[in-house]
Amino acid sequence: MKASFNWLKEFVDFSLAPHDLAHAMTMAGFEVEGISKIDNDAIFDVNITPNRPDCLSIIGLSREISAILEIPLKRITVELQKQEGRGPDVEVQDNKLCRRYSSRTIRGVKSASSPDWLKKRLESHGIRTSCSIVDITNYVLMEMGQPLHAFDLDKLSGQKISVKTAGTEKYFRTLDGENRSLSKDVLLIWDAEKPVALAGIMGGLDSEVSSSSTNILLESACFDAVSIRRASKSLNAASESSYRFERGTDIDNVVLALDRAAQMIAELAGGTISGLTDVYSGPFMPKQIFISFDKITSLIGIKIDELHSSRILNNLGFNIRREGEGIVATPPAFRQDIQRDVDIIEEIARLYGYGHIPATLPCIKMCPTPANRKEHIIDIINNSMSKSGFSEVINYSFISPDSLDSLNISLSDERRLLIKIKNPLKKEEAAMRTTLLPSLLNNVNLNFNKGEKSIRFYEISRVFIGSGEKLPREKLQMAAIYHKDESLSLWPDKHDGFYDLKGVLEAILAELRIYNCHFNTVADQIQPYLHPGKSCSLSLNGETIGSLGTLHPLILEAFDIKGDISMLEIFDVDGLSDKTDFKLSYKSIPKFPFIVRDIAVIVSRDIPFQQVRDEILSASSNIIESVNLFDIYTGKPIPDDKKSLAFSIRYRSHDRTLTDEEVDSLHSSIVEKMKTSLNADLRS
Amino acid sequence: MFNDIDSIKNLFREEIEKADNLKYLQELKIKYLGKKGVITGKIKSLGTIPPNERREYGQQVNDAKKYIEEIIDVHEKALRTSELNKTLQTQRIDVTVPGHYTPAGHLHPTTQVLNEIIRVFTSLGFHVEQGPEVELDFYNFEALNMPKDHPARDMQDTFYISDDVVLRTHTSSVQVRVMENNSPPLRVIAPGKVYRCDADVTHIPMFHQLEGFMVDKHITMGDLKGVLQVFIHMVFGPATKLRLRPSFFPFTEPSAEIDISCVICKGSGCSVCKNTGWLEILGAGMINPRVFEMAGYDPEFYTGFAFGMGIERVAMLKYGIDDIRLFYENDKKFLEQF
Repeated sequence: MKASFNWLKEFVDFSLAPHDLAHAMTMAGFEVEGISKIDNDAIFDVNITPNRPDCLSIIGLSREISAILEIPLKRITVELQKQEGRGPDVEVQDNKLCRRYSSRTIRGVKSASSPDWLKKRLESHGIRTSCSIVDITNYVLMEMGQPLHAFDLDKLSGQKISVKTAGTEKYFRTLDGENRSLSKDVLLIWDAEKPVALAGIMGGLDSEVSSSSTNILLESACFDAVSIRRASKSLNAASESSYRFERGTDIDNVVLALDRAAQMIAELAGGTISGLTDVYSGPFMPKQIFISFDKITSLIGIKIDELHSSRILNNLGFNIRREGEGIVATPPAFRQDIQRDVDIIEEIARLYGYGHIPATLPCIKMCPTPANRKEHIIDIINNSMSKSGFSEVINYSFISPDSLDSLNISLSDERRLLIKIKNPLKKEEAAMRTTLLPSLLNNVNLNFNKGEKSIRFYEISRVFIGSGEKLPREKLQMAAIYHKDESLSLWPDKHDGFYDLKGVLEAILAELRIYNCHFNTVADQIQPYLHPGKSCSLSLNGETIGSLGTLHPLILEAFDIKGDISMLEIFDVDGLSDKTDFKLSYKSIPKFPFIVRDIAVIVSRDIPFQQVRDEILSASSNIIESVNLFDIYTGKPIPDDKKSLAFSIRYRSHDRTLTDEEVDSLHSSIVEKMKTSLNADLRS
Repeated sequence: MFNDIDSIKNLFREEIEKADNLKYLQELKIKYLGKKGVITGKIKSLGTIPPNERREYGQQVNDAKKYIEEIIDVHEKALRTSELNKTLQTQRIDVTVPGHYTPAGHLHPTTQVLNEIIRVFTSLGFHVEQGPEVELDFYNFEALNMPKDHPARDMQDTFYISDDVVLRTHTSSVQVRVMENNSPPLRVIAPGKVYRCDADVTHIPMFHQLEGFMVDKHITMGDLKGVLQVFIHMVFGPATKLRLRPSFFPFTEPSAEIDISCVICKGSGCSVCKNTGWLEILGAGMINPRVFEMAGYDPEFYTGFAFGMGIERVAMLKYGIDDIRLFYENDKKFLEQF
């Protein structure tokens, strides 16, 4: 809220400079976010928290300043000299929705333009000026925080005002010119025939006051906060009035503000003020709250002198009396935020000064917390990825529903169970991610466009899969994306980028002590966005845990990316925690020497290495220590449909020294086995 | 009488002087010490020496043998070293050529700062809890004393999934979830992503927060100040000043904004702190009894504090990043600086 320094000074006679006043207010909970100088005044931009609607006015802030600085407040008093006749009768249908409605008429006004001082004051508080009648209602609103509305009395039918809901759905044209569709429970002000204002929000166009109005009906009321807020939200209609009503206004202030405005109108525009019409369901009875001195000390952490506490509450307008080891405090009517003892303790602490509260460290009972295995797995992946040269990215959790089409993901896939946002900022961010891949592809795009040649990115974030329950299933997913730098290099390597990324995965698996990951190439297990010949799914004991592969060229085209991209996904990172075993047990270091035999076989190109390796291992057994593939060769003199695989097999026994003869005999039996089961030829 | 030995040694001395390569040295070694060598011959002929001279003659031959062996040895070592040096010189490479390695990757600055903050609080005995990012309105608002139609909801622009499901607007949503399933004492931090329906130069629709709270008997606002002071000193250095300023959050009472002395200008005033010397860094307060009631705790029995901070804000101050939008663009030139 904007507040003029000079205006505040009219109510509290302080001698502080603007900057010092701003500091004092800030340290008491009224943060002055900016000060702008206008003429000889300083306009404060004050952040009023939602619990303090009573401070949405000059008098409200002055009350606080008076309490902070302990300087008396000058109160507004109004004495109306001459009152003639009566205004229209007022009927309030539901006194829960309208707790007080007071009005006066002012007849025979000559509404001209407002005097300069008034115009300036409104303008410096960001309020548009209009005719003097409207300006005065706005002035009193700013000064006293009580919204007022002025009707052109001659545009109202009959001598009756009612406050009641719309009853049926209807249209109503507000003074901003909009024809608004009202639901049946919107509270309205009616004349004898028709609605004339949206209660507490905005007047109607047809009863608007103008400079030609001569007879005025002035309204000052107290409407129910929730009802005004609902109507304002649903109609998307907000005003200075609704802003205050929906936060709560001071019911004791209604008539004073009405009289203040009536008096100003009579002074500045002439006219005769009528007697008061005041429909009031009954005086507001603020509650009494007991606060024990002990509780103040135990919540704040320092003993605040009892007299000091009492004085603070007094200064803030509370009625207090001592009772036992505490105080019974009655908050003023405008402090509807004060509901229980802690609210009052805050008031004491706030004006006592948070700065005086000592910094202490709590004494607490030790309680061990179990090691977090899931966090540990994330740490391992982060470390491993970092060693492999991959940088972590974080993307917004949003996805464009279209990108699932771009990824060619089938309609029955669980990734189609999107959680949609009702009010997205843009349509590309209209749903929650069910896969990390589109974001990573966008990262590739951005970096390619900025001239980057090599991409090594990964992300570990949650995806959100619709579950049919209220809340989606949230899964922590990991995805990596890789583009091999194809520019000339001092240390060239010619292999397919797939193998680099596979190595990155194998490094993670090794650090997680997962040794039985199976690279599955069965067609229906391959992700639809991957190159069918350069991809696999990752399975662990029959369960699919992820996928690895080169992206399909059509997908890259859809994402407007040029160049080969490989990607890796682990679908459920948290799920890895029961697949790993971090228990270590020592195995004795081999005592007996090993013997190495190399072998090169020519097999059909379709036979995967894993099958050949399994064949070797199945031969025997416990004396094959390792099988190391060191060469894959295709081309002359190998026939076109075949390839040559060269292995180094290391034999060792844990309980004796092997003889050349037994190794030779096992080795040749392996060769024979491969000849028959894999149709392999020995390459000489 | 042993002139023959002396003359062998003399001759050897002459010959060894010319030994400038290993091959020649090898020939010399064979000539003197080989199976048919001069010295070996003398040893074999010991039997022909009269017994009374044999002992001394034998001694002389042995000395000569040792003498020759040692000298050959010395020369051999010297020659080997010099020949190796020659070979090594021919193997010279250009050490100024860049080495071959995979540069390590970088953790996102948000993760790095988050990890640092988590370490500080776990060292104080806090432990990490998580909650869902797509959250019930109840845990995000209602249980935190923000019923529907409460104006405090305007403080946070909310993404809605349905009328009672939202993208959590703060990690405070974890508070009541944890309280429902645990009894005090509690020392919990809850880091994670949060969402606000807001995007401009200074706002992004997703960012990270860390919520912390402690619940026990006798927890005071002084304790809140003390714990946050430890945190601020560990993350921004022990000279950083801390200031609490009254504020409002529906779920704490009393509530405070925590400012730290500007880490850029050290309090003298700059553009980052808008010349105030202070930077707003956390919101905090004593947990509102309403929240305890929502969680089924007796507010007359327990007190507690809670605080929440934006991680990007901390990272921006720590690293001097001036545009929050950089965080999630994922430009390599940005990521690789951390």
